[in-house]
Amino acid sequence: MSMLLSVFLKLSAFSLLAFGGVNALLPELLNLAVYQEHWIDLQTFSDYFAIAQAAPGPNFMTVTLLGWHIYGVVGALLATLAIAWPSSILIFFLQRLILGIKNPITRKSIQYAAASLAIGFVLSSAWQIATQINHSAAAYALTLATIGFTLFTRWHPLYLIAIGGVLGVLGFV
Amino acid sequence: MTAHNLTPTQLFISFSKIGISGFGGVLPWARRTLVEQDKILTSEEFSAILGICQIVPGPNIVNLAVCIGSRFAGARGAAAAVLGLTLGPVAVVLLLAMLYQHYSYLETIKGLLRGISAVGVGLIASTGFKMLRDELRFPLMLVVVAITICAVTYFHLGLGWVVLAILPLSLYLARKKALVL
Repeated sequence: MSMLLSVFLKLSAFSLLAFGGVNALLPELLNLAVYQEHWIDLQTFSDYFAIAQAAPGPNFMTVTLLGWHIYGVVGALLATLAIAWPSSILIFFLQRLILGIKNPITRKSIQYAAASLAIGFVLSSAWQIATQINHSAAAYALTLATIGFTLFTRWHPLYLIAIGGVLGVLGFV
Repeated sequence: MTAHNLTPTQLFISFSKIGISGFGGVLPWARRTLVEQDKILTSEEFSAILGICQIVPGPNIVNLAVCIGSRFAGARGAAAAVLGLTLGPVAVVLLLAMLYQHYSYLETIKGLLRGISAVGVGLIASTGFKMLRDELRFPLMLVVVAITICAVTYFHLGLGWVVLAILPLSLYLARKKALVL
């Protein structure tokens, strides 16, 4: 029970640091869950990440699955709640404040500043996650190919996920 | 603002559709459902709200649900939108987790997930690169991006410290950018 509380509190704190969304947080989450608290091993974390990517819905499902791993359905619901409630309350009160800023320069400044932080976090996250879960040159090649296809074509991400899955099943990754 | 008055139930249904159809990223579906199908918001309103949701930390799409839900039906609307968005996908992902528990020993499943996770990382990186494209209009802002990446990946500073340390410079440059563009 105290473990459940600890999961809840730590994920709640993460919620307020998630500039750039939950994907930007994944390395910190991995570090906490795998190396510090030993809630889960690296392979299972990577597998949950993959399941969350392939499933429909918001991209914070890795957190839901981590909760499930620790404490079943109750853990899953609590982890999901934890990652969402602090930021939800923050935006509930902040939105009117931000919409109320009449000076367009001030409003844009805040938006641009937040965006630059978010970009830094998202790119760092991708790099750190890649070094943790890609174990072969082929896996890195697949990651790079995905970046290429998403930046230069209009393919739906689901096709890329399917192709990645097939290559994995065939033993190429 | 459009002349709609939505009940929490209607918000729950709209956001359920978004959650469960959002393969490979929910945001495009959110726009399609709210702007094009249900016509709850105009495209400009959607973009303005999304801009705010990306300033505040937290799961962006949950922030979006809170903003839109509360706009139409207060706190109850926000709760209804968030629940609609999350309940379906959480159920699906838990079902998948149970399957995983039974079949994760299979080589096929291991390979499948290895392939998907390699693509998944690439998708996250592309989100970052797409956002980076917008920064090229004011390249000085790339300094902030570069320092952030160094602080996180090389010096392994916690995200909270990075935010505190970089925010002043970031706001300073952002103001310059806002004045130029």
